[in-house]
Amino acid sequence: MTTHINRRKFIRVSGLSSAGLLLAFHLPGKNTQESVAEEVELNAYLKISTDGHIQIVAKNPEIGQGVKTSLPMIIAEELEVDWDQIEVVQAGADSRLGAQFAGGSMSVKTNWDALRNAGATAKAMLIQAAANEWKVSNADCYASAGVVYRKGKKKGKPYGDLVVAAAKLEVPKDVPLKAPADYKILGKSIPGVDNLALVTGKPLFGLDARPSGALIAVLQRSPVFGGVVESFDATAALQVPGVVEVVEVKASASKMQNRSSVAVLAKNTWSAMKGRSLLQVKWKVEEGQEESNRRIRSELDKLTNQKGEIELRNDGNVEEAFANAPTVLEATYEVPFLYHATLEPQNYFADVKEDSIYLSGSTQVPGGIPGLASRITGIPVDKITLDQNRNGGGFGRRLTADYAVEAIVLSQQLKQPVQVVWTREDDIHHDFYRPAGMYKFKGALDENGKLRAWHLRSATTSRYLYRGSTESPHTTEVFPDGFPAGFVPNFKMEYSPVATTVPTGAWRAPGHNATCFIDQSFLDELAHAADKDPVKFRLELLGNEDKTMPYADHGGPNYSTKRLRRVIEEAADWGGWWAPPTRFRHRGFAAHFMFGAYVAQVVEIQLDEKNWPIVKHVYAVVDCGILINKSGALAQLEGGIIDGLSAALYGGVKIREGRTKQDNFDTYPLLRYQEAPRIDIQILKSTERPEGLGEMTLPLISAALCNAIFAATGERIRSLPLKDNELYRKSS
Amino acid sequence: MARFTLNINGKQRQVDVDPEMPLLWVLRDELDMKGTKFGCGKALCGACTVHLNGAAIRSCVLPVSATVGAQITTIEGLSEDGSHPVQQAWMEVDVPQCGYCQAGQIMTASALLANNPKPNEEEVAAVMSGNLCRCGTYPRIKKAIDRAIELSR
Ligand code: FES
Ligand code: FES
Repeated sequence: MTTHINRRKFIRVSGLSSAGLLLAFHLPGKNTQESVAEEVELNAYLKISTDGHIQIVAKNPEIGQGVKTSLPMIIAEELEVDWDQIEVVQAGADSRLGAQFAGGSMSVKTNWDALRNAGATAKAMLIQAAANEWKVSNADCYASAGVVYRKGKKKGKPYGDLVVAAAKLEVPKDVPLKAPADYKILGKSIPGVDNLALVTGKPLFGLDARPSGALIAVLQRSPVFGGVVESFDATAALQVPGVVEVVEVKASASKMQNRSSVAVLAKNTWSAMKGRSLLQVKWKVEEGQEESNRRIRSELDKLTNQKGEIELRNDGNVEEAFANAPTVLEATYEVPFLYHATLEPQNYFADVKEDSIYLSGSTQVPGGIPGLASRITGIPVDKITLDQNRNGGGFGRRLTADYAVEAIVLSQQLKQPVQVVWTREDDIHHDFYRPAGMYKFKGALDENGKLRAWHLRSATTSRYLYRGSTESPHTTEVFPDGFPAGFVPNFKMEYSPVATTVPTGAWRAPGHNATCFIDQSFLDELAHAADKDPVKFRLELLGNEDKTMPYADHGGPNYSTKRLRRVIEEAADWGGWWAPPTRFRHRGFAAHFMFGAYVAQVVEIQLDEKNWPIVKHVYAVVDCGILINKSGALAQLEGGIIDGLSAALYGGVKIREGRTKQDNFDTYPLLRYQEAPRIDIQILKSTERPEGLGEMTLPLISAALCNAIFAATGERIRSLPLKDNELYRKSS
Repeated sequence: MARFTLNINGKQRQVDVDPEMPLLWVLRDELDMKGTKFGCGKALCGACTVHLNGAAIRSCVLPVSATVGAQITTIEGLSEDGSHPVQQAWMEVDVPQCGYCQAGQIMTASALLANNPKPNEEEVAAVMSGNLCRCGTYPRIKKAIDRAIELSR
């Protein structure tokens, strides 16, 4: 990575076809004789300047998943440059770059073709420019490390010397792409491009971006979900030095946008917070004052005791199979609401002027916010500028732009630039939580311990129902094609949504973070009931034949049993599954397919004197197709395990009297340093298309952990988090 | 409001603020030093860690009036070019994911190593347990601390 310190000024001149020719002139220091370099944009993803400087665009929001490094790596690979020859620049909202968001672990997989093409097309144009100049065929030329050579000749021409001519060429179609065997950058460990800036405390994050002159807004929202401001008294708040104004913000029509609130605007954050604490607000609450986990649980219980509202799958005849089976198992699983807890609280900056808007702040959906701002203000999208900054975590929380709307509305209302800042308390009280769910299983085994029937009745506080989506409320809540569906002759799956005032949304590995826990736990129960080894039980179910299984959800349209079997076998071998447990080490296993990737995990635990599990070691084997950035990939997979472990041990939002009862990290604990296990990850070599990995290890750890607890104690954990499980409540 | 002269990263800085304003907000809002992060505001996460006379403290709960006369070091002052062994180790091990907690992690780790150049595992854990990382970079933080100990030798 080079840091280019020259200030540049851009002048856009008309380009040929879609290759815009963007010229930039260095602004030489006053007394220097510095020559002028032109900067040429060969396509929306990259710029090469005549002095040889190369800039590659990072199009998507960086939320810690590493795309600011990994996506440019893909372009650099095909452009045929060395990594240290380029500078990565973060794109703002730019419609030429396609969808700009971070969700569903999709950045790499959905941009793979476009990014490779962007690099390869530019390279082809540079080669063509050289061939034209040398009057040879482009087949006689090749590129290496940012230089085009003629075959057999030692001296070539650097890209910077060719770029002006290249930009005048027709953009070629169907350019050849590199074979994975020739990759020089992809698959390597490239450290995060912002590392130096991060360790020296540069202002990279949304919260850091307040331009001077902006007011800070801290908002009081209704403690009870859905409450509306009836009246408020701001006398005391307005007396706080630094507080400038107190205004009401009306709720938007959409539950996914801003809530009814009173905003305290101040010259600094502390004054705004202090002012807010002195506000007197009367709330009008129409429904849900009594909402609680207890009420929701009883509703989930009721709905899972009756026929589901939606029948998602019905193979064979489960009723008949249960009637005739020698062994029938029943089990009820439960998962709680989960809080996202991005370490950087929600924040957004908006400067709404008469006829233009400037936006920045932490979000996973930068591509959608200009449209949102346009609808609110009537200002056309082409008059709206959005800059992207780093996000201090995302995990799905920042897919919802409620807080950005607050900033836009306030800035419009006050005709001033405004940065909305949430406190930790705001963040935990007004999240869009992972839905709570209950799952009732019935399974039947035959005389040989073979799985004959599987029946799941599930109910969750559907996030699709909450947001009023027209899609089925089971979307992302349960997966009718997920393993072991298709491998059990009698298989039935039903689902019922529960309506609640508690806001729900996408939480890292949506749906899978619950279904993998329940499926992989119940499979373990069945294996033990069949007196079979849990890994062998899974392999037997999968069979030896290589099959392509239909899979209609995200990550489909199908999955391969061969790849699933392979991660299971590798993880079991590598994780020491076949060795007998020791008195101190007990193992649990889980395997899962999601979002196109295959993962299997072995967890080793030790129990403390209260039978609380100390997770010592986690082995994970992952098949995610072609590997982009090894260090970044491993970081995601490690982080997913720790995140999943934290949620399994401690997660869970307490809802009573229509509100969230926790306020901060003292009452909503997260896993801490000393509790992190040793983690070893093996990423299988593959030439399949790359898949994302931001979410893939997370869902397995809760199941593998609870399976290990069963192996150690004979006690089955069917309800999370562990800290609230009867087993540990009794003993503590 | 009151005037204070603070010693931050070796420089004298003047501010005119509410004496109760936590050092965190003085740094971020008054002095435009955004390296120190806001995570919880209640001394529960460690994102706001700075050094006060060499000790790691949570700046989100420390009123500015209590810092007068003390030497304050923030992430910006640890070294400007990232040459401090803890910063070096953090880059080498590629610790950051989102990176938001890392200024606090680095300040906690660097205070520990300054006072105890060869801490054992328990001593490291006792100190680092005060800093949350929501992204789960703990295994790499552990590696980076080991590496920083080596680099400081
Ligand atoms: S912000 Fe100070 S400890 Fe969390
Ligand atoms: S790197 Fe994201 S919170 Fe630590």
